[in-house]
Amino acid sequence: MTARGVPGATAAATGAGGPPPVGQLPAGLRLVRLHAASRRAPAAAMAIASCAIGLRIALAWSWDTYGALQLPLVFEAGCAAAIAITTASPLGEPERVAGRRLPFLRLATTVALTVAAAVALAAAGTGAHLAGGTLDVLRNVAGMTGLGLLCAAVLGGGLAWVGPVGYLVAGAYGLYTQWHGPALTTPWLWPARPPHDPGAAICAGVVFAIGLAVITVRGARDPAGE
Amino acid sequence: MTAGAGTVSRPVPVRPGRWPAAGRLLRLELLNNAMLWLLPVAVALFWFTTYRKAMAMPPLWNMRARALQSGALLAFASPVAGAAAWMGSREGRRHTTDQVTVTARPRWVRQLATWAATTCWAMVGYLGCVAVLYGMTARQATWGGPLWWPAAVAAASLPALSALGFAAGAAVPGRFTAPLATIAAFFVLGLSTQLIQGSQSYWQVSPLVAAPWDIGPDAGVATFYHYLPDLPIAQVMFLAGLTVAVLGALALPGGPGGTWLRRPAAAITAAGLLAAGTAVALAGTGKLDAHGMIAIPALHNAASDRPVRYTPVCSHTRIPVCLNPAYAGYLPATVGALAPVLTEVAGLPGAPVRISQAAATYRQGPGNSVGVGLAGPSTVGRPPVFRLLLLDQLPGPAMTTSALAAALRSNAGPAIVAGVTGGGRGASPAQQAVTAALIMAARGPATGSPAGITPPGNGFGMPPPGPAPGSPAYAAARRFAALPASTRHTWLVRHLAALRAGRITLAQLP
Repeated sequence: MTARGVPGATAAATGAGGPPPVGQLPAGLRLVRLHAASRRAPAAAMAIASCAIGLRIALAWSWDTYGALQLPLVFEAGCAAAIAITTASPLGEPERVAGRRLPFLRLATTVALTVAAAVALAAAGTGAHLAGGTLDVLRNVAGMTGLGLLCAAVLGGGLAWVGPVGYLVAGAYGLYTQWHGPALTTPWLWPARPPHDPGAAICAGVVFAIGLAVITVRGARDPAGE
Repeated sequence: MTAGAGTVSRPVPVRPGRWPAAGRLLRLELLNNAMLWLLPVAVALFWFTTYRKAMAMPPLWNMRARALQSGALLAFASPVAGAAAWMGSREGRRHTTDQVTVTARPRWVRQLATWAATTCWAMVGYLGCVAVLYGMTARQATWGGPLWWPAAVAAASLPALSALGFAAGAAVPGRFTAPLATIAAFFVLGLSTQLIQGSQSYWQVSPLVAAPWDIGPDAGVATFYHYLPDLPIAQVMFLAGLTVAVLGALALPGGPGGTWLRRPAAAITAAGLLAAGTAVALAGTGKLDAHGMIAIPALHNAASDRPVRYTPVCSHTRIPVCLNPAYAGYLPATVGALAPVLTEVAGLPGAPVRISQAAATYRQGPGNSVGVGLAGPSTVGRPPVFRLLLLDQLPGPAMTTSALAAALRSNAGPAIVAGVTGGGRGASPAQQAVTAALIMAARGPATGSPAGITPPGNGFGMPPPGPAPGSPAYAAARRFAALPASTRHTWLVRHLAALRAGRITLAQLP
């Protein structure tokens, strides 16, 4: 496997290289930039921005109760899937062996993108009727991102979207049961719980923390051929 | 991999019993398909969102089949679209496009094999889910059989979703394509129904629509009348056309297929688009019929409007209570709820000789609202038969047996008494008093509904207006109710005709 299309990524990820030439970024920043590039973090950031714009446009429409409740969840799942996908490494084993700072880079990338997603979606809902509000966005994005990270560890970064997308269907169903009972009230189905529900927040937070820890320490599984 | 010097590449002769090349290609794709790995996700979502919900419904084929159509579709849509997009983007993602371009098969054929394998796995999972749900329903249902049209619509959706996802993956091969396709599939399917306004909406072509939109679970449909295939036919036509169009469009971009492939592919795409467009136009001509289904004139078969023949299940009471066999499970509760009232009126002149369950009739209201009621009067024929509409026949969440019995006691029971005494709207004080007295004697509420039970609209056996507490009619009712049952009965037998004619005054009541 090669770092195709990511020039210099191997060297950067392994932490090798001499002092930067005059006018270039310091080594640390260059390492972060190259790591982000190797993980398609810019594309993920664009996907997050697209989700936020899409949410903003969608909120301008008039939705019935179902639609208004489920709408943010769709875009939150999109952001979570985009973040989870960035865990896929194009470099594979060489990077794992040589990259001393890899766990920190993975942690920083994931946290930065998660924060960006929460901020972007919350900003998109400013001035509009965003069901659940900012707290809901934060909880759902964190929880679904955690699921995506766990999926990345099991299935590989490429298929990490399975977790957030599958949970999107379950979460939308949980919201549906609030009208067509019996209502599902388990906190593990946090999108169906009110924004201030502590149980749901704890569950989402736990999933995010575990996912983040697993991805930080182990990284995504690298299936052969991807 | 290199060919050794002097090695001549020759096609391997097909030995008898071996699969043809296309079959082998399909087999390889089946063995290396992402949908196989996503099947557990789809099945788990089906169990969580559809199976549990359907099993919580009464064992009525119509309810469960409709829950299957919409639920299974939403459960499978995202995994199928995602897996197909993942498979469609495989060559681009792995940078193997150039390697496989030189193979003997045109790109389109290879793509079709991959799409077919994805669809096959999706279909295997879906059919397994249908088998389990319908198998359980067959064990529980007291009458009727599986409704295949809802299952067919959801089945026809899978190739279409797979084709759309695959085309997205092939067009934009990248790691973000698959999740984008899954989110888009869910968004379009789940939220496009917001655009449905009334029964003549083009958006009803969405495979998610199994009934007048927003009506919710409705047990009254397709029990007394056939399940109309009009809308499902249009939906299947739309989905098949869409599938063909998308698959045909895969061959349109320039490639090794050449012109000889592009021309038929363009024709196939055009035919698919034509079919899909026709189906959309047909769906727009739909209209809610009196039996709660969407009828499309161009696809409608008048024979479907004939009522379904059935032998009702009846109680062995003095006044038999007869229900549609699909509702046989409700018979004990219905009989138990009505027995006190029926005991009071049995043997009186004009009392119903039978309580018979009737079909609900539907009427489109403004927007997506639908009026559901009993067609015609509650009491018909001579000798009179009281027509009953169980509350579970009305749209809304399924009721528990005890709630159903309470609703019958408070609505149908008083309506039966009022039908005998003439104590309906515009009744004289004496008629009101006797009606209230018989209801009191039957230990039911004189008027109104118990807490938590919403009385249905007109025509469902609304309780008659009773005398106000403290009024002379109320006092007379209490006095009459306190009489021994035999005395009441004897008096009613002698004076009921006069009472019904309004010739009895409160003072003449015993």
